[in-house]
Amino acid sequence: MIPSWILDIFAAIMLVVAAVSAARLVAARPWQRGARRAALADIDVAHLLMAIAMAGTLASGLRTLPDGAWEVVFGVMTAWFAYRVARDAQVSGVRALAGGHCAPHLLHAGAMLYMFVAVSAPAAHGSGGMGGMGGGLSGMGTLELPFLALLFALALVGYSIWDLDQLSGPGTSGHYSLATARVAPTGAVLAGVGATAGSGATAGLGAAVVSGPAPVAAGLAEARQVPPASAPADGTGVLAPWVATGCRIAMGVTMAFMLLIMI
Amino acid sequence: MSEIASAGVRTAWRSKPGARAEAARGAPDARRLLQLTLAGIWLLDGVLQYQAFMFSKGFSDMISGTASGNPRAVASPITWNASLVQHHLVLLNTIFATIQLLLGIGIAWRPTVRVALAASIAWALGVWWFGEGLGMVLTSAASPVNGAPGAVILYALLAVLLWPADRPGRLAPFTAARAVGAPVARALWLVLWLSLAWFALLPGNRAPQALHDMIAGMGDGEPGWLAALDRGAASLVAHQGLAASVVLAIALVIVAAGVYLPAPAARGTLVLAIVIAAVIWVFGEAFGVIMTGGGTDPNSGPLLALLALAYWPARAVATAPSRTAPAGAGEGMAAS
Repeated sequence: MIPSWILDIFAAIMLVVAAVSAARLVAARPWQRGARRAALADIDVAHLLMAIAMAGTLASGLRTLPDGAWEVVFGVMTAWFAYRVARDAQVSGVRALAGGHCAPHLLHAGAMLYMFVAVSAPAAHGSGGMGGMGGGLSGMGTLELPFLALLFALALVGYSIWDLDQLSGPGTSGHYSLATARVAPTGAVLAGVGATAGSGATAGLGAAVVSGPAPVAAGLAEARQVPPASAPADGTGVLAPWVATGCRIAMGVTMAFMLLIMI
Repeated sequence: MSEIASAGVRTAWRSKPGARAEAARGAPDARRLLQLTLAGIWLLDGVLQYQAFMFSKGFSDMISGTASGNPRAVASPITWNASLVQHHLVLLNTIFATIQLLLGIGIAWRPTVRVALAASIAWALGVWWFGEGLGMVLTSAASPVNGAPGAVILYALLAVLLWPADRPGRLAPFTAARAVGAPVARALWLVLWLSLAWFALLPGNRAPQALHDMIAGMGDGEPGWLAALDRGAASLVAHQGLAASVVLAIALVIVAAGVYLPAPAARGTLVLAIVIAAVIWVFGEAFGVIMTGGGTDPNSGPLLALLALAYWPARAVATAPSRTAPAGAGEGMAAS
């Protein structure tokens, strides 16, 4: 049985992520920037919702919505990021799938959806030493299709490691920048998506809004060539690029943790 | 062309010039990618260590079980460790898990890569003895199919071979040679794979039903499809223990010698090594029994494959730090 205080620590980390994501949304005020820019807040919204859901799953006292509601939320979120990845793929090809901005978020959303859909009562699975897990996990239970849980966990660990490397490596303030990307591409990318999709433009939405692995850096240079007109103080404080990436790393590791202890 | 340079070109050649510089600055070289894979496995180990099973008596029993068959000098500290873990299970297991989590994060975080790799070597050696009974290599139970010489010692070996330093003045023929030099790297490879061949031929492993029983036993607690896979594989080697062991040993000897062959032949033997590692991982180790909820690590299969990739012949691997360290890299990556 996993000590409840360990789960509480992970839940607390998720609450911090939720608070930071909420602060980023408030600071960025995407609702004042028109529909297109508001759409770029999807990452912070996703982080906020996922963190709240995970905290509630880890600690029953933090439960907010019924599982069915979360299934709907993450179903929609998965569909949204799948759409975004598909759009990226139209512009950047398979690179968008391998390392695009939205691919890791699609993975996160998919993992959350799987976690809520595939969970079953502990008693239905309980075996040997795992018998007490359900109680320790505040009724989280165990997951059907454990191989899928393993695959998700491996991919989440992989993205987290990659994020850590990129965050601590060269160009941290450049191509691996959420805040820069959230503002800078507005000219090139949003115009490109709206007007030049399919025309060979390389500054596509996914390629430019970069927080993902290095291959996606292709295309960002073009986005950066467009001055971030009317950009506020994005990139500093809570809007600093590393903050969002840090949230993603924390969520990736916590999600992998949850998946593996629910096997 | 250096490996690093070619990696950069591979990343960038489809991009526009502006993006090319960006990609080249951020793209890790082959050694860094291997380091990151090692970091990922450590992180996975850390997460697995938090599983409910590890907080049960089963964990300390698992440790004490590795004392069996070992010489007394080796077994006594293991028994002591198992007793200590049993009495302070929650505290110690939490520390173990957190250490492994931090090792993964530390290797992935460029400024701390050296510290984390050094710590991982010390930790791996400690776990190899106190937690894995030296991979049972001093007993008759060691088999390459079930994880000998112990997965965790391969972590230490990889940390040494992927150490972020370069021997000056020469071009390394493969990534693993960059820090320790080609002769030492080849010797380590030879010793490892010859030892695996030796273990394959131990009397306990070449008995008619030895391999069958080993593989069949892996299906317990696994998902139905994996258990069925194990049963099928086990039936293939039923009563064929000697033949299977000899074939496996021959293949392992070929792999061991492969790094001394010319590059094309070496690549062929490395592919063989990866295939063997995959077969061992799926059929002999059942993916490290992770899906039973009782796996502490993915076992030796992925580590052997990772090791093989570290020996993959390059056209030329740059050793000059100035060519491998992107601007802004931390000190830890200055030569990696």
